[in-house]
Amino acid sequence: MNYTEKIREIAARLLENGQVDMVIAWEKGDQEYQTVPYIARTVDEVSHIVCDEYSIHNLSNILLRYRDGKEKIAIVAKGCDSRGIVRLLEDNQIKRDRLYIIGIACDGVKDPLRAMKQHSGFEKVKEPEDGLAAKCLDCRQPNPVIYDELVGEEQAPRGEGDRFARIAELEQMSPDERYKFFEDILSTCIRCYACRQACVACNCRTCIFDETRPQWVGRETSTSDNMMYHLVRASHMAGRCVECGECERVCPVNIPLMLINRKLIKDVNEFFGPYEAGMEYVEGRKPPLSVYRENDPDDFL
Amino acid sequence: MHNCSCENPLVPGIVEVVKIIDETPDVKNFYVRSVDGGVPFNVMPGQLAMVSLIPVGEGMFSVSWQEENDHLEFAIKRTGLMTDELHRIEVGQKLGVRGPYGNGFPVEECKGKDMLFIAGGIGLAPLRSFIKYCFKHREDYGKITILYGSRSAADLCFKDELFEKWPQEKDTQVYVTIDNPEEGWDGHVGFVPAYLEELNPNPEGTIAVICGPPIMIKFCLQSLEKMGYSDEQVITTLEMRMKCGIGKCGRCNIGSEYICLDGPVFNLAQLKKLPPEW
Amino acid sequence: MKVLKIGKIEQVLDRLAQQAEVYVPMLRGQQSGFFSWNTYDEGYDDLMFDILNVYQSPKHVVLPQTEKMYSFSQEGQEIKIDVETEQITPKIIMGIRSCDVRGIEHLDDVFLTKGYVDQFYKARRDKTTIIASACYNPGTNCFCESMGVNPTDPEAADIIMREINGGYVWDVKTEKGEAVTKQIEDLLEEQDAELFPLKPFLRKVNYEGVAEKLKDMFEDPMWEKFSEPCQTCGICTYLCPTCYCFDIQVKAWGEEGYRFRCWDSCMYREYTQMAGGHNPREAAKERFRNRFLHKLQFFTERYGRPLCTGCGRCVVACPAGVSIIKIIDTVKEA
Repeated sequence: MNYTEKIREIAARLLENGQVDMVIAWEKGDQEYQTVPYIARTVDEVSHIVCDEYSIHNLSNILLRYRDGKEKIAIVAKGCDSRGIVRLLEDNQIKRDRLYIIGIACDGVKDPLRAMKQHSGFEKVKEPEDGLAAKCLDCRQPNPVIYDELVGEEQAPRGEGDRFARIAELEQMSPDERYKFFEDILSTCIRCYACRQACVACNCRTCIFDETRPQWVGRETSTSDNMMYHLVRASHMAGRCVECGECERVCPVNIPLMLINRKLIKDVNEFFGPYEAGMEYVEGRKPPLSVYRENDPDDFL
Repeated sequence: MHNCSCENPLVPGIVEVVKIIDETPDVKNFYVRSVDGGVPFNVMPGQLAMVSLIPVGEGMFSVSWQEENDHLEFAIKRTGLMTDELHRIEVGQKLGVRGPYGNGFPVEECKGKDMLFIAGGIGLAPLRSFIKYCFKHREDYGKITILYGSRSAADLCFKDELFEKWPQEKDTQVYVTIDNPEEGWDGHVGFVPAYLEELNPNPEGTIAVICGPPIMIKFCLQSLEKMGYSDEQVITTLEMRMKCGIGKCGRCNIGSEYICLDGPVFNLAQLKKLPPEW
Repeated sequence: MKVLKIGKIEQVLDRLAQQAEVYVPMLRGQQSGFFSWNTYDEGYDDLMFDILNVYQSPKHVVLPQTEKMYSFSQEGQEIKIDVETEQITPKIIMGIRSCDVRGIEHLDDVFLTKGYVDQFYKARRDKTTIIASACYNPGTNCFCESMGVNPTDPEAADIIMREINGGYVWDVKTEKGEAVTKQIEDLLEEQDAELFPLKPFLRKVNYEGVAEKLKDMFEDPMWEKFSEPCQTCGICTYLCPTCYCFDIQVKAWGEEGYRFRCWDSCMYREYTQMAGGHNPREAAKERFRNRFLHKLQFFTERYGRPLCTGCGRCVVACPAGVSIIKIIDTVKEA
């Protein structure tokens, strides 16, 4: 996928006629596999913009920094990114009329972080893997769900198999086995909070884990504190996670975070659904766990 | 067990709270004494100590006064988790204290000078140690002027010393102001920086010492500069979030200086060389 | 020269592990870092002596992620403190590269000098022996030489292992190294060996004069530009072999508990958040700027050397593509 020229054209046009104050897109780093987020504010800066096969970052996260301002913002959004934007709109974190969404129909991207790591010498690789990023293999929403302008041809979803296959496997385990499984992977967490920072749905001004009165979860990297952190965060994501996969991608110790998130997506869909977060923006609509209905299932209470 | 110091600088010693005075609705003055009597350590005016309500947390406070070998005083305002709990304790409670930290006021260099103390709100607490030191060694210092302001009359700290004791001292003037007019107050009304400019104290041979909310310090520094005070004549004591108190955890830095180790007292000349991040 | 043959490495590790915790570079599941040989699981773990470096630096051996300081118990108004005086077992870090050794030298500067000696750090550091592995093949993001680190001769190493065909030359440097070598003397062989040459660096930066220049660049627009993509996630601070900022917190239940210290990151907003609400570094740009100034200017002013060893981990792992190399270059050209 390479929409660089088209995006530059659109960005230049929007900046020139004053429709927006800034364009959030990507630019190139030092290496050819290194594409990073970039904000262009003048027509000159537009020449830095790229939109290529390594444009994986979920740019909707950057919008949070401008939620209190008044600037008009143009943002490039793939399918998963656009769901992130819907998340922000539903959560009242940014106003729709400030955004000009340049949607791009995505046929899958590669992960520059993985490429960096494989070329760095920190990993034993015979040949650097140059395939699609892990999160793209399961993709169900390659086309943006919300946009002001669409670039590219509509793509078919890539994921055909059951995305909950691994979840079903875990559900078959006995409670003790499952506990040990998660204990093992979550005990390696170093509590860097990168997953939280990269997540669009994590947009509280003061995160619960930073509160001191009371301190809900301790900062020790003991297994119990780590598990509390991940499970509490996942619960706060229930019904809100848009499955963009950024949390898992940025984790420096490779914890398979999407397993926990997918389980909750499956459960919310079963109990309160059918429901998929971030698929459509309807003003005033709330995620399922923000709404109380008398016939909400409660046999798990 | 006497306090930390050389053995393990991160472990506190135990002291007992022997008296608690309610200065204002949210400020209390705690008198602490070592469990075996006496003070846990000697302190120079302006130095700090880590006070911990051990099961809750630690906080860095300036020592408001050391009474010879009898006790230390900490004037603490209720602002957060730990200070909130601290305000609920009673006389007899054991606390942890470690120190002394920081560089303290330049009491030696200021000898022979006229002193101008400017404080706002709880900022009077660190200055009080210097003020009382001057009164204790009255002959070593010249004219003393104290300018103090607070949000309201109820928020004025150390009212006893402010209105009764200090004005009685030799060659000493005390000026008090509150932010807004209120019933029962017939003193000056107005912000501290404005009152300062009104009083226009002569800079010659004077050292100005300021402490208060960062915004007040910034305005006062501007006023003093306008009034002709040189950078070396102005001293302030700063505050930052602190955890270790010994210059290791990294968070209390302004530029390459650590407030807990190289500060908290800086003169304006030193402050101007540092990034404006306080 | 004394030589350690590759086939004997596991025996050496077993022998050393009898008297100490030996930390070696390993691939454990999905993570790579320095783990204790005493916990090696043949089916699951992979020894990684021959790789350039591992993601997690060995600084956790001397400065653990979480370290208990003292426990306490309360009865009414009385309180009793018990300082952790657990016997620290001797530790050996083996296979550590020069960039990480320099990281530990910086930690020594911070915790053992300037007024106070951190007793918890000292207790661990005194009992730690460093067996470094000289590096002859700089990687795509390595620039240790530019930051003043010698890739083949790290200063604070007690022993230096130098890779040759089929093994390592065992180069003892200090008395601590001698003591450890005595334990495995019979497993070493006498042999003449030719050392590999140091391959040229692919990345270089010119750090000279940068600390001076930064003094006048506090308000430079480059900070706004570089900090824009930064998510203040903290990965850089956790993987960095020199980052040492810590938090002190308490864990209490009922009448008992303990105070501990844990790693913290200057990238988080709460780092300098004061109880009254004031925060001198509220915006991401301010924290970002403070971090790099600390690394490249403040630390140099205070301790004489920059707080970056050129290991390249932050450049590789940053999700937003922030690069300290680019920042040094920009300052140099300014």
